Amino acid sequence: MSDFREAQNQAHPNKTNTLMVGILSLLIGILAIQIWLLYSALNNALAQNFDIAVASFVGSTVLFIMALWLLRYVPQPRIVRKKHRERESKYE
Amino acid sequence: MASTSDNEKIPNWKSDFPILEEEATHVSRREFAKFLCLLSGGLVLGNAGIVIKSIAFPSQPLEGEHLICTAVEVPVGEMKAFVIKGKSEVPYILIRLHENVWRAFEQKCTHLSCAVRYRPDLKKIECPCHHGYFDADTGRVLQGPPPRPLPQLEVVVRDEQVYVKAKTETIT
Repeated sequence: MSDFREAQNQAHPNKTNTLMVGILSLLIGILAIQIWLLYSALNNALAQNFDIAVASFVGSTVLFIMALWLLRYVPQPRIVRKKHRERESKYE
Repeated sequence: MASTSDNEKIPNWKSDFPILEEEATHVSRREFAKFLCLLSGGLVLGNAGIVIKSIAFPSQPLEGEHLICTAVEVPVGEMKAFVIKGKSEVPYILIRLHENVWRAFEQKCTHLSCAVRYRPDLKKIECPCHHGYFDADTGRVLQGPPPRPLPQLEVVVRDEQVYVKAKTETIT
């Protein structure tokens, strides 16, 4: 019969998975915006519009800080694969 | 209950250089997230490079007048390619649209730097790589992938000699 702790343990990996997928999706979204900013900065700089380059640099930096901040919420690995460690120990 | 040895932290030297091949080739989602952040930082550096380049090393306008050819060398409706040597060799094209109407543009397409050419039958400048078309009079983009107009030079004809110089902005 399952108790509260077991239910928690079962639920937690799923939450971690959702969190991880969410963070990865946000990071990919941030990267996509940064690539777009870089492209527009380059095109405008070549057309002598330097203001766009400065604005996109500021925007890109803010997005980078956001990406770093998101790393705080990346879940810690909880389980060391025991089987692998046992296999590794054969070589040690 | 899981034993404490299961949750033991693997030292960095071991996780970076694992013994098993499958461990070495495995990329965890944590590592992937960190890699995405690294890419993000790289894009910031790229953006910073553009800002530094545009502020510290702006492109210099062409200095002085350069003799290209005599007027009789280019018939009406034809073009002539030429190069101006400076810090780097920049290729240009000289077009004679009408008897007394001359235009000079940079020959590098603003899309992917293919060499553009004047098409007398269309009266347009064509980039043959991706079929981009530019207005032969102003250099603006008419069709295709080029994002910017062709950089233009001013043409001066004096004593049947054709010179080019940096285009001066005129307010109309």
